[in-house]
Amino acid sequence: MPEFTLTSAPPLAGYDQSFDGVKLGAPVDLAIVSIALPLGGEVAAEKAIKSAYGAALPAPGKSVLSKDGLARLVRLSSDAAFVIFTHATPDAEPHVAEKLKGAAYTTDQTDVWSALEISGAKARTALERICPIDLHADAFADGDAARTSMEHLGTLIIRTGGDAFLLLSASSSAKSFLHAVETSIHNTA
Amino acid sequence: MIINHPHLGPRDAAEFIYLGDASLIDRPDWQDENATEKFYEYGYLRNNPAGEHQELWYHEQGDRSWLVVTRNTLTHEITKVEMARDVARARGRSK
Amino acid sequence: MTQVNRIDGGQVDRSKEVKFTFNGKHMRGFAGDTLASALLANGQRLVGRSFKYHRPRGILTSGSEEPNALVQLRSGAHQEPNTRATVTELFDGLKATSQNHRGSLEYDLMAVTDLMSRFLGAGFYYKTFMWPKAFWEKLYEPVIRKSAGLGSLSMKDDPDSYDKGFIHCDLLVIGAGPSGLSAALAAGRSGARVILADEDFTPGGRLNAETLEVDGMSGADWAAQAIAELAAMDNVRIMTRTTIYGAYDHGIYGALERCTDHLASADGKPRQVLWRIYSKRAVLAAGSTERPIAFGNNDRPGIMLAGAVRTYVNRFGVTPGQEVAVFTNNDDGWRTASDLAGKGVNVTTIIDTRDAPAVCDVPGARHIRNAAVMDTVGRKGLKSVTLTSGQVIPADCLAVSGGWNPNVHLTCHQRGRPEWRDDLSAFVPGADLPAGMAVAGAANGSMTLAAALAEGRSVANEQIKDLGFTASRKAAPKAEDEPRDCAPMWHVGESKNRAWVDQQNDVTVKDIKQSYREGFRSVEHLKRYTTLGMATDQGKTANIPALAIMAECTGKSIPETGTTIFRPPYTPIPLGALGGRARGKDFRPYRLTPSHDWAEKNGATFVEVGNWLRAQWFARPGEQGWRDSVDREALMTRKSVGICDVTTLGKIDIQGKDAAEFLNVVYANAFGKLPVGKVRYGLMLREDGICYDDGTTARMSENHFVMTTTTANAVLVFRRMEFVRQCLCPDMDVHLISTTDGWAQFAVAGPNARNLLRKVVDEAHDISNEAFPFMACGEVTVCGGTPARLFRISFSGELAYEIAVPARFGNSMMGVLMQAGEEFDAVPYGTEALGVMRIEKGHAAGNELNGQTTALNLGLGGMVSAKKDCIGKTLSQRPEMNRDDAIRLVGFRPVDRSLKLIAGSHFINKDDEAKMANDQGWMTSVAYSPSLGHSIGLGFIKSGHERMGEIVRAVSPIHDTEMDVEIVSAHFIDPEGERLRA
Repeated sequence: MPEFTLTSAPPLAGYDQSFDGVKLGAPVDLAIVSIALPLGGEVAAEKAIKSAYGAALPAPGKSVLSKDGLARLVRLSSDAAFVIFTHATPDAEPHVAEKLKGAAYTTDQTDVWSALEISGAKARTALERICPIDLHADAFADGDAARTSMEHLGTLIIRTGGDAFLLLSASSSAKSFLHAVETSIHNTA
Repeated sequence: MIINHPHLGPRDAAEFIYLGDASLIDRPDWQDENATEKFYEYGYLRNNPAGEHQELWYHEQGDRSWLVVTRNTLTHEITKVEMARDVARARGRSK
Repeated sequence: MTQVNRIDGGQVDRSKEVKFTFNGKHMRGFAGDTLASALLANGQRLVGRSFKYHRPRGILTSGSEEPNALVQLRSGAHQEPNTRATVTELFDGLKATSQNHRGSLEYDLMAVTDLMSRFLGAGFYYKTFMWPKAFWEKLYEPVIRKSAGLGSLSMKDDPDSYDKGFIHCDLLVIGAGPSGLSAALAAGRSGARVILADEDFTPGGRLNAETLEVDGMSGADWAAQAIAELAAMDNVRIMTRTTIYGAYDHGIYGALERCTDHLASADGKPRQVLWRIYSKRAVLAAGSTERPIAFGNNDRPGIMLAGAVRTYVNRFGVTPGQEVAVFTNNDDGWRTASDLAGKGVNVTTIIDTRDAPAVCDVPGARHIRNAAVMDTVGRKGLKSVTLTSGQVIPADCLAVSGGWNPNVHLTCHQRGRPEWRDDLSAFVPGADLPAGMAVAGAANGSMTLAAALAEGRSVANEQIKDLGFTASRKAAPKAEDEPRDCAPMWHVGESKNRAWVDQQNDVTVKDIKQSYREGFRSVEHLKRYTTLGMATDQGKTANIPALAIMAECTGKSIPETGTTIFRPPYTPIPLGALGGRARGKDFRPYRLTPSHDWAEKNGATFVEVGNWLRAQWFARPGEQGWRDSVDREALMTRKSVGICDVTTLGKIDIQGKDAAEFLNVVYANAFGKLPVGKVRYGLMLREDGICYDDGTTARMSENHFVMTTTTANAVLVFRRMEFVRQCLCPDMDVHLISTTDGWAQFAVAGPNARNLLRKVVDEAHDISNEAFPFMACGEVTVCGGTPARLFRISFSGELAYEIAVPARFGNSMMGVLMQAGEEFDAVPYGTEALGVMRIEKGHAAGNELNGQTTALNLGLGGMVSAKKDCIGKTLSQRPEMNRDDAIRLVGFRPVDRSLKLIAGSHFINKDDEAKMANDQGWMTSVAYSPSLGHSIGLGFIKSGHERMGEIVRAVSPIHDTEMDVEIVSAHFIDPEGERLRA
């Protein structure tokens, strides 16, 4: 038996609030692993991703759900993607690496980011105050993803539904980011 | 300004970092005969045209790609945006 | 006071009475009034004193171009000076006061300046306050400052909040007058995403101010109907109280929305929002602004623009006077006479500069042809006007129309130049418009209602067709073309008294002539010499008349004389709105280390390092100051073990078949042969050969490296590495991703470091000196299976490790390490003790890697590999950077050990004079070494490595100190490195 035990405490763990027309919460146990496509090995890597997740890696700026609906593949750039899924233990990276069988480079990004889910009829109105990306459904459809800057903080925004967005921002500044989103909700309520 | 990213579409220039003249891609060979002279020119001498200019922009708050943007410095009109990696290859930087 | 000038009609809501005060006087108005319309309704013509001469002034206009009626709103910290009464929406409880007078508004003691006016003309300050030079700061400026300016600041923090935002559209329509509404309707019906913005609180523009009809109904009713149709469209966003203040590159517009200025209280919501609007196309439908005619004493309260007079009558149901005369050079002025007469207001006289028949029939009014107003009477309010013929006409209101200027402002924001149109006697937008912008209606010189409505539609349709939308086939709304003939007259030459051109800056016709005589003839010089066109109105009513008068002086045409072009903002933007949320603790985001909570609970004092908050030291009860804490932390670490959160160092995950080769390019030293499971110190150069950054890189597997950078350069190094990857080595298989925030990393340093870690690292991992020697690295597990990374590296010079766990465990890990360290009296240490120990060990940091120093200077010259290329290699070999007497990093200690070294001191040889020519180098870092019991320093000195034991002087002229110091090895502690290999 080890003498000491570690407890997990992500910066926004347990946050879940409802406002007038907006719900804001930190998803539980969200794991993120980055996938880099080897130069010259892109075809093999995309094939491995497809066979592991039952879905083809989409174009940059897009995301898709895996066939079983449990993982989201987000293409960030020509040679980089994230796979986002629910996974409680700190071994998300080996878990993904195993599925890809060495066809791509993987790096654990779970603790690099802090996630917030914002949803509801007024979610877009609140995000207008910090997000320079056009979030109109015609311009940013379900599954669309963009890395941008909100209140000076690098953010990955993904539309996960009609009025629902997943926001990923650096975990060290998670509290400042939460404050920025809450202020936007307050200012537009 | 708006930079029309080849992969991601139009993005606010605020997401980008400006570096300067795209001639910075053309790094000299260290084993060239006049390497010191060439590196001096590479490091210190830049064209500063009033008009069309090829320049390097980095999409730091985006996909981390380096772009070569052809921009008119008088009007800010942007006529071409390319992935710097493709430009570098086209300029013979492949191994 | 009662609303003596309130008449029937208008669009105010008479069921909602609104109470307000002006200079403490209680007054009443109605919902839908502006402060200006309510003041006029209450018979208050005098509303302020002018900027320079303290002349009594009233209301000139009914819009944002107002130069005169600037008032102070609200009180206490909410006090806001220089607010235009003409655009201030009336609300219950509004407190307004007049500005720029000592004593009361009626009896301003400063009005004496008006008597001295013949000495105070254009250029007065430039000529008078030239000498003696010392008098400027001490005497002239304080006196001028006190008497200049209009309103005053509360000198308290702004209690309101502000916000910013981003919105997108296919078509931005700027202005909701006839052409703007017509444009928005056309575009909205096609399905395009439209933003319709207008600075007014009621959209409609001049439609609300005129009696003209559209589609058989009143203009105001048609506007309301159009707004209702637009409001029902999902694809249209109507933004009232929103000024588009600037046109920027590539279809970006700046907008200021005044959200709560019309309410008694903001109720905790942002007062204003500064929007960045991204448009694919825009229609500028900003209308036009009426211009005055300059004549003697044309600034008396009661003298107003003719269009404004009928706005007050038609829109607000207020007459600015009971006995009104009209002075015009154009047909439009006649509409004021006719509208007023139609509402039963007494219009006595129409003075037309033209020798032409009456434009229309105005019952009860005399028509005087070929005439002009030369002077006026009535110091605090107009009593009569005197014509050039000498005829005196009693009047309490004179409506003046000099014609209309298209509002071309936004067309100039990308340096477009307006063009003169003789038929309009006005500038219209030039061909060189901001990208994506088209202009419609009066802003484009289409001055009649029918033309504006038609052009709004056609221009919008062209714009959206370009974007691929199909234009709706619905016809333009119908209206008639009203007569618009105009015979330009800019000033009345016969006037003997001062004729005001720019009322906000008190610039007269005479000032412009003087400017001409003294050689300030270009428009830009005229502006700067006289201050014409400056301040809150930016010369909206003054610029063109001034230009015309200058043209008259030069004998050239107006377009030959020049144009004024405009810069953003169109109207003033409060600094609070530009700042948005970025104030106080929200000025910028904070980054917290994983053990921040633990540190906070354990007495840490934090220091800002970039955006990071880091523990600087951990005070214990009884310690007298920071030095006590820092000395203890450093001593205890060297004696037993200390723990420091070093998460802030940048971490970059590097993978790929060419990763090692890539590192060879970015680092000066070689990484190709670094074995798996080992860490190496790496030095980066700039391309010019100067040191850039340093850190360690660990090889986790053949194709996988983990790099650390300095905290300060984490972002910059990543950026540069992407540059090398994509632009210089595009065919290397290498991939970078930041993991800085992903791992909580702790330095565990001191002789008991291994003993402590043995209790935390799971037993399966052998961390003995043999199995895990100095510069080893590897993946381990801690506390029963939690993945971790262990690096045997040392910044302190002690036996030391850095251990990293997923950041979510970081706070807990700090507690665990301290608990495990209890038996060794482990201490947490902060950035100060970290700094002390690195100076004791002679490690370079930011003070030494300061952007001026080379590898050779740092004593790391041997690291620049001769066998391979790297960034900075070639230029680092330049002779000047490799001189025999180059500065070298060495240690220093005071000869008198009780003295404290001073960072920044310069070194001078023992017998030399302390001057720059004899400079030998400088002290970069100093600290009190608790281990040695005296002050120590690092610094650069010429050929330092060959001068061990030499005594030089450390001179600090700014501290006025000088002391003898001895050159010693930079490695004050354990120079052989035995401890870190133990």
